[in-house]
Amino acid sequence: MESQVLYNTFQQEAFGIFIAIYFYLTGLSAGSFILSTLAYGFGMEKFKPIGRIGVVLATVLLVIAPLFLLFHIGMPLRAWHLFTYLNLSSPITWGSFLLILYPINCLIYAYFMFTEKNKLTKIFAFIGLPLAILVHGYTGFILAFGKARALWNTALMPILFLASAIVSGIALMILVYSIKERFFSKSKSINRDLVFSMGKLLAWAIVFDLFLVGCDLIVLSISHADAQAVAHLILFGKFSFLFLLVENFLGKIVPLFLLLIPRFRTLTTVIIASILVIIGIFFMRYVVVLGGEFIPLI
Amino acid sequence: MKKSSNKRLAMLFDLRKCIGCMSCVIACKSENDVPLGVWRSWVKKIEKGRFPDTREYFLPIVCNNCENPICVTVCPVNAGIKRPDGIVYIDPHRCIGCRYCMASCPYGVRYIHPEKKIAEKCFWCHHRVDAGLKPACVLACPTGAILFGDRNDPESEISKAIATNAVQVIKPEMGTSPQTFYIDLDIDTVEAKKEKKE
Ligand code: SF4
Ligand code: SF4
Repeated sequence: MESQVLYNTFQQEAFGIFIAIYFYLTGLSAGSFILSTLAYGFGMEKFKPIGRIGVVLATVLLVIAPLFLLFHIGMPLRAWHLFTYLNLSSPITWGSFLLILYPINCLIYAYFMFTEKNKLTKIFAFIGLPLAILVHGYTGFILAFGKARALWNTALMPILFLASAIVSGIALMILVYSIKERFFSKSKSINRDLVFSMGKLLAWAIVFDLFLVGCDLIVLSISHADAQAVAHLILFGKFSFLFLLVENFLGKIVPLFLLLIPRFRTLTTVIIASILVIIGIFFMRYVVVLGGEFIPLI
Repeated sequence: MKKSSNKRLAMLFDLRKCIGCMSCVIACKSENDVPLGVWRSWVKKIEKGRFPDTREYFLPIVCNNCENPICVTVCPVNAGIKRPDGIVYIDPHRCIGCRYCMASCPYGVRYIHPEKKIAEKCFWCHHRVDAGLKPACVLACPTGAILFGDRNDPESEISKAIATNAVQVIKPEMGTSPQTFYIDLDIDTVEAKKEKKE
């Protein structure tokens, strides 16, 4: 029916950019941690050089990330309420504990890694693995509980977030490893084999991520009316540029080609691909958080 | 309906009587000291159709004080509290202003107070209800379009009105079991959306 809104109020933004940044940083942290356990937990010797970088990044990022939560909430001085008035049905409550346990575990894990106590390192790698998965997975639940926002309210959200966390974590690791070896190591040369193996991992992670995004889109575009509206928003509407071009084309498809086609595979292209991925995943968080709450509820 | 001992408060808007005068909005603003730029209640207005077959529709919106409120489920500090009589309110000393309730409520009725930085919303004037009065909007409505009372008391005006009219709630599919009912609710009025201001 032809109708025109004459008067309505505007709702305040619920989450916004700080939350997008927070999700991005926890994702990078979880991804880095998971990568560092390849060598120190699963014993894949060739990934040993990135183990230490991984744990340092994971810890530092996870210390910065909650600061954005404090910027976001209206009453940061009341943050201690999170630990005294628990509500176990709220994903934020789960997160408050994960955000304490995970960095502590990171520190212990790093300590044993740097003092080369391999047995203990391994134990804390395996304690940290589920924590890393949960510390990012729970943010997917935060969004999924927003039941009226079709873009958020899907059981795919936690796994989608994990996939993009791993993608961005590997890319960050390639970048940081290359910079470190190139400029701050004694030999000033990069271990090409290691970078290429990480590149391969990155490529498969991107394929998995694209698969999940595809599943999400297909279901969104034939689901209920709100879901169709939001699918339209990210495919043809205001967020289509960021979603299609920046997040998926530049951030996933181009890197995939750079990584998979042997003719393109040089150190430079792998690094360019990682930079594109790191930018792309940031816009993934941006589109999910801000696109999800873009359509007014009433 | 059987008379049950526990109270369940509910609100009913008879949209056939609503003339879109916004008296309820003004009464709410002054009763609850609601700051500029945010609203605990408002009247959405739309125009449907094309001249000469056209009409304006009004949809007063308040918090539904849901039976199964998602805002209470997700509040990490238990600041959202559902009273035994069904009113959902926010403990102002507890709320940390994390906005999760705003993200999850399907009705967009919550806001962050610009100065206090905590979440607020309509709670059916519980301070008046506790003193035996009706919410401010109910008294302000010049056409008597708003009914308020105990839905579990078959003798109450609202129970009778709900029993003898076709009533509807907004977005029942959200499963929060809203307790603000409407007579003559129009689907286009609910669904018409304005592009968000930039
Ligand atoms: S309308 Fe929204 S804020 Fe009000 S009780 Fe229901 S879920 Fe909570
Ligand atoms: S803004 Fe306040 S009431 Fe809402 S979820 Fe956060 S702490 Fe709870």
